[in-house]
Amino acid sequence: MLNNKSYKFTIIDIAVIVFVIAAISIFFLRMSSTLDYKWEWDAIPSYFFFLDTATGELKANILVRGFATTVKLSFWATLIGFLLGTLSGMMGAKGSFEQRFISRTYVETIRNIPSLVLVIIFYYFVSSQFLDVLNLDKYLRNSSQTVQQIVGLLFSGPDQINAFLSAVIALGIYEGAYVSEIVRGGIISIPNGQWEAAWSIGLSRQKTFFLVILPQTFRKIAFPLAGQFISTIKDSAIVSVISIQELTFQGMELMAATFLTFEIWITIAALYFILTFSFSRSVAFLERKYALK
Amino acid sequence: MKKILCLCFVFLLILSGTLSAQESIIETIQKRGVIRVGMSTFVPWAMKDKQGNLVGFEIDVAKKLADDMGVKIEFVPTAWSGIIPALLTGKFDVIIGGMGITPQRNLKVNFTIPYDYSGMSMVAHKARAKGFSSLADFNKKDVSIAVRMGTTAEQSVRKYMPNATLKLFENEGQALQELNLGRVHAVVSSAPMPIFHALKYPDKLFVPLKENFTKEPIGFALRKGDHDALNYLNNWVLNMHAQGFLKEKKAYWFQSKKWEDLVK
Repeated sequence: MLNNKSYKFTIIDIAVIVFVIAAISIFFLRMSSTLDYKWEWDAIPSYFFFLDTATGELKANILVRGFATTVKLSFWATLIGFLLGTLSGMMGAKGSFEQRFISRTYVETIRNIPSLVLVIIFYYFVSSQFLDVLNLDKYLRNSSQTVQQIVGLLFSGPDQINAFLSAVIALGIYEGAYVSEIVRGGIISIPNGQWEAAWSIGLSRQKTFFLVILPQTFRKIAFPLAGQFISTIKDSAIVSVISIQELTFQGMELMAATFLTFEIWITIAALYFILTFSFSRSVAFLERKYALK
Repeated sequence: MKKILCLCFVFLLILSGTLSAQESIIETIQKRGVIRVGMSTFVPWAMKDKQGNLVGFEIDVAKKLADDMGVKIEFVPTAWSGIIPALLTGKFDVIIGGMGITPQRNLKVNFTIPYDYSGMSMVAHKARAKGFSSLADFNKKDVSIAVRMGTTAEQSVRKYMPNATLKLFENEGQALQELNLGRVHAVVSSAPMPIFHALKYPDKLFVPLKENFTKEPIGFALRKGDHDALNYLNNWVLNMHAQGFLKEKKAYWFQSKKWEDLVK
């Protein structure tokens, strides 16, 4: 495979680096001259961490808390999307007529609704009817400090739990529709010979599917799936419309209070980049590790 | 089996509906031990300080209310354009967010008696709005004005400057950015924010009108049909007027700039 090729620093690399640096400096030059924008970067670090004068401890500030919420949100939404999508994709590829019908209905409905509308409808109508009846926030408020801390670490505090869950579920359902198509495509792409070979050694239909077909499918779809997960991380920004305190919402609140529009947007973009890029690099690493030699 | 499940769901829905209709939020809040307050960032009504805590005029008012009720407080920061639907669907108990009492809003929610009065003020770009000094100067087709979506500022521009072109933004920050870049002639918003902003960029911006051009009452908003809560909150506001609490807080947040170090 191509992975063993050693990198050589060529003239093209230098050209690319020069080009990128030039583009960034032109952007900032234009910003300060044409747009007459006064940069005030010095306040930004304090929105990550601040020194609590009362206790002398370094505490996480708005942006870090927003970042943590985005990570939690993306993690659970990805998990739900993955499970739902895999199930629906399996049903869509090899299921009975009814199963294929359910899978198609799910995918086509969700894929053809704008994500923004789905999140808002889910929050105002669906979750008001189901999540609020469960009174999760009430149980959480009455539970012990440790339980509250653990739930807060994994999900969110009692003040946001209903909104957080409805956002996670809506995002999960949304991403699941795309994962479903990726999984379905992956299963279909496995040649028929694999099925026939498995049957000929006496494996049942189910065993064939789970032991022979599915592992090959996941190896094939690792990259498109990773792409979908990265887009989940970025899509999580849309739940700011239902006031989940994730990175984008916190950033917008900060902008409303400080009017440091561009500084904060650029910082937010950098934070998303750190999250998505480290994720895509780790997927690439796994891909290399488990690649067929 | 399916039928039973369906029936159970319907029953649950009806139950939850009737429960919330009978009980006043005052009792709900007491039982829960927490009052949930919907608000949105408006400088200097409510904003995050350097430590990420909420501060501002509304925040002080809401905290005092919670204190007097003997409960804890939870703020639910909400996008302004969606704040009324969020109240109606029970995401929080009451809006304490500098909401102007207007007949249109009053059709959907109940308001308490005003705890404050606010007015619309304007900040304009020196080069683009040169020599403008009255509403009539701005009421022209080629004049564009930026406002925050869904606010009474939007309504006031439609009413007093119907010929001007409106540019709507989700946040005040974006509207002010547009003004700083000189893409609009002016930004209209509740006083005193426009004046503060003009003071911050004196070489670029100015305040064209000497006085606020509207006066609007500000009240707490709550769901309809809850007379107990309305009565409680009305009397609370009366009390706070009488004690001078509201006047004192207003002087601190609106007439002084002592709080500026808290935010930046």
